[in-house]
Amino acid sequence: MLITIPHMGNVYLAAKALFDGIDVPYVIPEPNNKESLQKGSLYSPEEMCLPFKLMMGNYMQSIEKGADTILITGSCGPCRYGEYCELQIKILSKLGHDLDFIVLDAPGEIGMDEFLRRLGKIFKASSKSRAEKLLAIKRAFRVMDSIEKLEAKAHYLAGYEINKGDCKRILRQCKKDAFGCDNPVEMLRVIKEYLKKINAVPVDKTKNPIKLSIIGEIYTVIEPYSNLNIEDKLMDYGVSTKRLLTPSWWYRDIVLKPLKLNSPGLRRASKEYLPLYIGGHGRECIGEAVLAHKEGMDGAIQIFPLGCMPEIVTKAILPSIQRDKNFPIMSLIVDEMTGEAGFMTRIEAFLDMIKSQKKTN
Amino acid sequence: MKVGIPKGLLYYKYGVFMKTFFDKLGAEIVVSPDTNRQILNEGVKYCVDEACLPIKVFHGHVSYLKDKCDVIFIPRIMSIREKEYICPKFCGLTEMIANSIPDLPFLLGEPIYWTPKEKLMKWALNTGKYLTNDKQKIKKALESALSKQNKTKNTIKQPKLKYKVALLGHPYSVYDPFLNMDLVKKLNRLNVEIITEDAVDDKSIDFEVNKLFKKPFWTFARNTYGAAVNLVKGQKIDGVVYISSFACGIDSVLIELIEHETPNLPFIVLKIDEHTGEAGFNTRIEAFADMLGRRLNFAYNNTAYG
Repeated sequence: MLITIPHMGNVYLAAKALFDGIDVPYVIPEPNNKESLQKGSLYSPEEMCLPFKLMMGNYMQSIEKGADTILITGSCGPCRYGEYCELQIKILSKLGHDLDFIVLDAPGEIGMDEFLRRLGKIFKASSKSRAEKLLAIKRAFRVMDSIEKLEAKAHYLAGYEINKGDCKRILRQCKKDAFGCDNPVEMLRVIKEYLKKINAVPVDKTKNPIKLSIIGEIYTVIEPYSNLNIEDKLMDYGVSTKRLLTPSWWYRDIVLKPLKLNSPGLRRASKEYLPLYIGGHGRECIGEAVLAHKEGMDGAIQIFPLGCMPEIVTKAILPSIQRDKNFPIMSLIVDEMTGEAGFMTRIEAFLDMIKSQKKTN
Repeated sequence: MKVGIPKGLLYYKYGVFMKTFFDKLGAEIVVSPDTNRQILNEGVKYCVDEACLPIKVFHGHVSYLKDKCDVIFIPRIMSIREKEYICPKFCGLTEMIANSIPDLPFLLGEPIYWTPKEKLMKWALNTGKYLTNDKQKIKKALESALSKQNKTKNTIKQPKLKYKVALLGHPYSVYDPFLNMDLVKKLNRLNVEIITEDAVDDKSIDFEVNKLFKKPFWTFARNTYGAAVNLVKGQKIDGVVYISSFACGIDSVLIELIEHETPNLPFIVLKIDEHTGEAGFNTRIEAFADMLGRRLNFAYNNTAYG
């Protein structure tokens, strides 16, 4: 068994830590790039959304390296993400690849037994003891949490740093070094070191940078290649950004959902505009926009793939929030054809507008 | 009180239910006219650009009704079968309308869960309270609306013709002749009769759907997939015509799944949006009908391409 996962932001680091920890052979696909997108789009239905195409690209590149098992998460909401696995299995088998798909749906939907059976497939291949396996899982979660902490700090401090580019450099170096480690303990140590470094970055607290919230569809806000590295670009412009949706937010949300304890703040904030869960992360998007205004951010950027059903609903609602609260929100739609230049022009114009608004206030 | 019912989306399936329910509550009912060019234009004007054609048309119907009644009923149907949904856009339909069209009257847009019955009753009570204070009356209205709905069956009357194809798609695309540019009549004129998914019973649909790795969680996907595979396996049809709106998320998955099961059958996907030119549409249908003829007349083991 040679296991692989599709990319989504920094998930590959946590997955690497887990597989190293339980000593199961794995392939981490190349970071998303033009080639993986092209390969993915070639074998995907034309009107499918961008995450599907990028994931297909990841699979194709992993298969070239010999992967025979794919680990993905599922969902049973009205968003089409839940149907990805069905279609991907069929398309890949049509192409002649006999793969084993391990789909981790929420235990509430498929039953705990089925969930454990699916999860067990990964751990059966490991020769480690039960305690060591549990420890590896714990460490993987810790890797996820700490890399996200570092990332969030870097994105926020980018607006305040004195030496331009410090935060971005530290973040990049950290990811590179963490990926170079072969065991989870080492990886955690590396990330911790970089956390210290980022805390020591010289900052000018009197600065008043533009502060933006990144909201929208979860995959496209998390995976940097799909949104043309928007967060890195905003760092270059000296903009502080905040983003709530992260992989660790996602798994906490899944765990707490059956108890209805997930993100009470977002529920309250979104109640006025969208009181129901409509699938995907539509309600969260509305909640985040309202919260961003409350927290004193200067604006929000919504990112979603072309044809994303829940985000189309939110795109219809966001102008009302914009109008009611005098809070600028821009929607960016990404697909495999998105041209970088036009994208940049729109972001620059948005930033200019906020800048002039800030001056007049 | 005048209740406006937009003739769009699931009106084509549950119109009888909607009309009976409000009629029994003593409301005066205003139904918007059949979709026409003006309604479409209004819809395109107000609706968010990325939405699909049926949603845009629905916006047009609401906009038509907005100064002709006191309240407008929005069929925000969350789910028809248990653990299945329609589409995220249906779940957020009321919010989409409320935030897109200005100067609206009050919207009756409570979420509707078709099963279990307690949930449907809850919807009926929540909606009915705006029209009457009599709870018994609401309960009775719901009962008679349900029984009338169960008695009606959606069908398109078809003459016996030379070729038979399955016309698949969401109910509002199949049954709205303006949306699909009179597709059924056009096919009939080309000597092609159609059969819809409503001709296949629930049991046969379940039988096919259960073979999938994951149970589809969209009711339309389940119905269409099950019916298509059943019709193909029963060898009752010569081809498949799929009418789909541009950027439909459900169809992007569903069409691929159906194509997977129909490797040797002519299959045409007709995409519709507000720009669709009728001439190109006609050409494609005619070519498809010609191909059906060639397959039947000249060869017995042709490929799907004729």
